[in-house]
Amino acid sequence: MTNTHIAATGLPFIVRRFLHGVSLMLGVTFVSFLLMVYFGPDKTYELLGKNPTSTQISEVRHTLGYDQPFLLRYGNYLKELLTLDLGLSDSTGEEVKSILTRTLPISIALVLPGFVLGNIIGLLLGMLAAWYRGRWLDKLLMSASVVGMSVSFLIIIIGLQILLCTPYGLNLFPVRGWQVHDLPSYLYYVTVPTLALLLVTLGYNTRFYRAVMVEEIDREHILTLKAYGTSPVELLFKHVLKNSLIPVITRIMFSVPFVLVSGSLLLESYFGIPGIGLVTFNAITSGDQPILKAVVGLTGLLFVLALMLTDILYSAVDPRVTRQ
Amino acid sequence: MTDTALTTALNVQGLSVWIKTASGKQQIVDNISFSIKAGEATGLVGESGCGKTMTAFAILGMLPAAGATLESVAIEVNGRDISSLSSAQRRSVLGRDIAMIFQQPGTALDPVFTIGQQITAVHRRHNRSKKNKHRQAMLNSLAQVGFDQPDKIAAAYPHELSGGMRQLAMIAMATVCKPAVLIADEPSTALDSGTRALVLKQIKRLQTDHGTAILMVSHDLSVIRQSCENVMVMYCGRVLEKTDCQSLFTHARHPYSAGLIACIPQLNARSASGAKAIPGQVPAPSAFPPGCHFAPRCEHAASQCDLSVPGFLAENEQGNERGNERGVACFRPL
Amino acid sequence: MTHTTWQRLKDDRYGIGGLFIVAFFAVIALSVWAGLLGQGWSEVSGNRWESLSAAHWFGTNLLGQDIFQRTLFGAATAFEIGLIVTVFSIVLGTVLGALAGWYSYSWLDEVILWIKGVLDSIPFYLFAAAIAFALQGNRWAMHLAMIITFWTTTARIVRGEVMRIKQREFIEAARAIGLPDIIVVFRHVLPNTAHILLVQSTIVFVAAIKTEVILSFLGLGIQDGVSWGLMLAESSQEVLAGHFGNFVAASVALFIMLMGFNLLADALQDALDTQRVNS
Repeated sequence: MTNTHIAATGLPFIVRRFLHGVSLMLGVTFVSFLLMVYFGPDKTYELLGKNPTSTQISEVRHTLGYDQPFLLRYGNYLKELLTLDLGLSDSTGEEVKSILTRTLPISIALVLPGFVLGNIIGLLLGMLAAWYRGRWLDKLLMSASVVGMSVSFLIIIIGLQILLCTPYGLNLFPVRGWQVHDLPSYLYYVTVPTLALLLVTLGYNTRFYRAVMVEEIDREHILTLKAYGTSPVELLFKHVLKNSLIPVITRIMFSVPFVLVSGSLLLESYFGIPGIGLVTFNAITSGDQPILKAVVGLTGLLFVLALMLTDILYSAVDPRVTRQ
Repeated sequence: MTDTALTTALNVQGLSVWIKTASGKQQIVDNISFSIKAGEATGLVGESGCGKTMTAFAILGMLPAAGATLESVAIEVNGRDISSLSSAQRRSVLGRDIAMIFQQPGTALDPVFTIGQQITAVHRRHNRSKKNKHRQAMLNSLAQVGFDQPDKIAAAYPHELSGGMRQLAMIAMATVCKPAVLIADEPSTALDSGTRALVLKQIKRLQTDHGTAILMVSHDLSVIRQSCENVMVMYCGRVLEKTDCQSLFTHARHPYSAGLIACIPQLNARSASGAKAIPGQVPAPSAFPPGCHFAPRCEHAASQCDLSVPGFLAENEQGNERGNERGVACFRPL
Repeated sequence: MTHTTWQRLKDDRYGIGGLFIVAFFAVIALSVWAGLLGQGWSEVSGNRWESLSAAHWFGTNLLGQDIFQRTLFGAATAFEIGLIVTVFSIVLGTVLGALAGWYSYSWLDEVILWIKGVLDSIPFYLFAAAIAFALQGNRWAMHLAMIITFWTTTARIVRGEVMRIKQREFIEAARAIGLPDIIVVFRHVLPNTAHILLVQSTIVFVAAIKTEVILSFLGLGIQDGVSWGLMLAESSQEVLAGHFGNFVAASVALFIMLMGFNLLADALQDALDTQRVNS
């Protein structure tokens, strides 16, 4: 079902966005199912001993469901997702649901500070650069952004590690781990990853927000506001900001799923933090299908939710956006 | 009202603006001086690019582009020189003592705030101590420009109103603090003729009822004739003629002014030729001719006109009780 | 590029600097491919973790391999990945984007948009891992994964541009004289997107190289040969023990090359954007 076709039915806005999201999710789950399960490891022989007989083989295949037609298996998968019947992990035997509930909060706690700070600081710097466009502050910020964009995430992580976690540097923070039980220990373990995330995203964020702000500052109504004595602070924070909320929201909402999964993946595998990224990655390398199926479903869901939330936010902040 | 009739609401002396272009620093407004008394309306007329809008912005101290510089001997509103104020001080003047309305009200108003919010913000900025009076002042202002249901308009967003209504809302915003001077930059150009009349009527009302001095910037002579008592003709950054509207239309003294008036097609023209265009084109600032800027296109030009700049010759006509400045910048006026 | 564009590009000192850096690395890459440089990247020619010396300009790594040789080879790997991913994803993105834009709001457009939406929703590293797994460790799995996900940004941009260009009069004129759609698209519409594609190519190149670094760290990168990503991955443990050779060499080389491309991308963007206001 495509957007135009859905639109033609005249259903209310929210329902249309939901259906669009559903069609995306079907696509996501289909592709992932195809890749991971269909092309993935064949577990038949792992479960059998030596010299299996053909009846044994076909028995095991039947248990594993390999002999069913593709669409049926896909349908089962969707059913499992919807009923949250996620099964047990192949590698640890733990319930997938409990793995998710255990690791997801950790990943969020890991990634959230860096993400939020990266966007807030990026926004502020972008506003500064746009306001002083063409002057030295702007050029300085833009140069710094280009530098930031040219350094790989990995380099930043390793570099920060050397600087902050080793005796060759300041040695203030731990190299790996996540023994968090209270605020001080949280700060102890989250600071270096947060700094890394911040440094990586700051360059891109600043440039993006600057571009958005520049376009807004050039608008005619800013001239009117100046003609009526509006102070620069009020201009920027009340008027320019509110008018640029749509691209800002778009960017933030669409980077959430990305940052949460991919960002956490790298940070967790590097710092040995038991979050969802690490779990997923291990699942990939070991072919742990229940976990993979669940994670894909989860990410798809996150994306759809982000999509719907974005549209709701649009109409909430900008009166020009009307729900048809 | 009779007292204010003698006050000079706006006095501009020696205003010049330069901009930085790829080919260097260009002067786009050259030493403009004029004054407008309270309750008077003066038109500033000229073709696009002659610098009239830049003049308006310069009076407010707002130069849009980086690299533009302004110089003036004085810019006085009600006797107070605003050109020497700090930016914070000037901000307290803008919107309160002097206000401006713009050509495109659709883009001039902030799309994400309601009309009411925008007008109250202006009132609040300049009346910090009067709590709770802002909404009332805003509604009054809207009612005064002719809205029957000001509270409905106040709750609307700019995109929900028509062009004419937006312009009226802008006028309401400009006058909520009862400024002494109103600068109207092409206020009716973007409107159809019905709403145009309405808007111009409102501006006139400000002039007569509140004694506001009006500076109306336009390229449309007929609008100026309809709305203003006095007029200044501007070309390539210079004021070429200043007179009252009647005199301009019956006997323009500068060849350029005469040419502009001849451009207006007359409905009751006897000849079939219709409007007559001025030959040639308006030069760009980097290519301003030395001497009189209009000389290359002027039928009456002499060699003197190409070599030196004619100064502005003020003259006081006999029997002119107002004592307004009249004059023409020409070596060979008509 | 038109004359003024070229002029603006030449005036932009940072852009020219970027261009030189890119050219410099391109020459190195070509030399490696031609067998002139960096051939000793896998040779164990020294003791482990030797420091800088005349024999080993950047020292050696854990296995005693010469870091300088490996750095040179890494340049070639970076270019290989960058070029392959960039060329294929730009072509794919342009074709699909042009189709979507030309037939905008039709079912074809909707399908292409839907595919884009699905691909954008899949977390990249999971996708890359899945492809690597599906192809059983094939060398090209990484390139394929990147091409499949990178084309979407190009397609989105091209689609927007085509939709805008479509409205312009010279296109109407071309169609009015009966030119078939294909010709109109290829001869008239697409050349007008060339400037955007040029800028986009540099951006994709940078993204490809940065992605390879992380993929190598996760063990999904190239299996044969060496890349700066692999060197960084190797160094992550080494630095804790105080051996910074790998880290510094790979970081600096990577940084300089990426800076070069980013500066070039910016300069191209500025030179081609005729509406931009400079101070």
